[in-house]
Amino acid sequence: MAIALDRPRTMSRSARAVRIRRWVGLVLTWATLIAALIFFLGPFFWILTTSVKANEDYFAYPPVWVPADASLKHYAALFTRSSGARYFTNSLVISTLSMLAALLVSVPTAYSIARWRFGGGFLSLLLLVLRMLPAIALIIPLYIMYKQLGLTNSYFGLVIVYTVLYVPFAVWLLVGFLRDFPVEIEEAALIDGCSRLRALISVVVPIIAPGLAVVALFSFIATWNEFLFAIVLTGIETKTMMVLVTSFTSGGTDMFYGEASASVVLGVLPAFVVAFVLQRYLVKGLALGGTKG
Amino acid sequence: MRIGALVLKRKSWEPVAFASPSLALIAIVIVFPLAYSFWLSFRNFDLAVGPDSEFVGGANYVEALFRDTRFVNSIWNTAIIIGPSLVLELLIGLGLALLLTRIGRGRPIVTALLAIPAMVSPVMAAMAWRMMFGVKYGAINNLGRQLGVIDVYFDWFSSPLISIVAIVMVEVWHNTAFMTLVLLAGLQSIPQELYDAGKADGADGWRSFWYITLPLLKFTMVVGLMIRLIDLTKLFGLIFVLTFGGPGGTTETVAFSTYLAGFNDFRMSYAAALSYVIVGGVLVLTLVFMWIQRYREIRAA
Repeated sequence: MAIALDRPRTMSRSARAVRIRRWVGLVLTWATLIAALIFFLGPFFWILTTSVKANEDYFAYPPVWVPADASLKHYAALFTRSSGARYFTNSLVISTLSMLAALLVSVPTAYSIARWRFGGGFLSLLLLVLRMLPAIALIIPLYIMYKQLGLTNSYFGLVIVYTVLYVPFAVWLLVGFLRDFPVEIEEAALIDGCSRLRALISVVVPIIAPGLAVVALFSFIATWNEFLFAIVLTGIETKTMMVLVTSFTSGGTDMFYGEASASVVLGVLPAFVVAFVLQRYLVKGLALGGTKG
Repeated sequence: MRIGALVLKRKSWEPVAFASPSLALIAIVIVFPLAYSFWLSFRNFDLAVGPDSEFVGGANYVEALFRDTRFVNSIWNTAIIIGPSLVLELLIGLGLALLLTRIGRGRPIVTALLAIPAMVSPVMAAMAWRMMFGVKYGAINNLGRQLGVIDVYFDWFSSPLISIVAIVMVEVWHNTAFMTLVLLAGLQSIPQELYDAGKADGADGWRSFWYITLPLLKFTMVVGLMIRLIDLTKLFGLIFVLTFGGPGGTTETVAFSTYLAGFNDFRMSYAAALSYVIVGGVLVLTLVFMWIQRYREIRAA
């Protein structure tokens, strides 16, 4: 017994020092990461608790960090008093329509580039230019054009802009997915007498569906998050959540905390979904502006 | 007929037809408006005056660069926000990426959690922080008071300097995750054999970081910084919500002051000219950045 305990100790004093150092290193690593998580996620926690606090909790000192009795009444107030229901629906409708339109337009273009190498260099140049182009340079002429065409304050106007802004990114991602797709399956359909379009719709699209989902989610969140075009081109009926939330700032630094925080909670929800579902694609998406519109 | 020939044969109109919807949309919604805006920038179209306008040559550009102190100041404001933001995002991003490579099982979940702020819209990020900075009910003043760090309710947006500090902090909170993700991908692409070889040569810890990691990560860092730089020149939503350019216009960025010229003063031609000054600036920045990069490579070789 004594020997069995003794032997490893004498044999590996340095090994144990290494192990202890590694263990301390791991603890420090995790401690720093947890501190970082608190900094990066703390605001979300605070906004969430603030949105379910009772009104008197805002004035309380010491501050109420976790409310004892949570209520959803600020959400109810946001949805009725501040017409939040309407603006939340607007955001949902506009993002969904832009997402569908972007897919509809980008899939054939991406196919054309992937299969026939149609203007591939042009696409990457366009993507680079669009990535660098300040949105402010586009909104000024668009606003004037929209005013003349009567397209401001309409779903259609905003959806068109979002679709087009998103197309280069969607095409670029889709070309990648299409190049991985085996041509043979498509050829079989063509030999059976399918037209190209038919083959694309009923053979290619179902198989690259996961890729389409990635593009769709990125496009959804990019549109959901977009602010500059939304604040310029929307009116009373078509405001999105991003525009609604800015209306709470008019009351100075201390404002309607309940409704403002409730609208932030609703506004950041898609971000949580995307961060987890699209983890593998986040670098690409962020680098190419896939989340900012 | 050979099968291959059958399949490879294509109707010459097909590639164009498949690509035409998006090309047409891009031409109508992006290319034409940009050209129209360029034309407009040489006129004096002002919505507050009326629908008529006339050619004024380069007057708008001269005003923007030499007479409009507000716009010139906004260039400086933008630079003052960009500088510290880039440094902090790079350093914190690199630190976090290095830490993430050292943990095993928890890495995917921690990475996803850290990435969430970057997926949030700038407006929402700014709104959350604006409430946290709130004088009486904000989390920061209340936490500071509770911990005994401050004894008065502090107004974070009363002085230009502290407003800039607050903006940089929110910006760093918002976008460091991008740097972390990019650098993490870069770190993971460095082959382990290099570290093993380095170890055999006696390089460990700092030395292997300095002589192996940093040189191989340099390109990734440059690309990441470049992307952040270009994005920061567009800084708008954050400013709109956090300070609305205040106090006294000291936090107005170029995008924000152009927005005000267009949609507050309704001087559309002038705003168009401002936007082209920004486009030119971004282009120059990109070229300078690429040139420095090439120059350093040539010198190193």
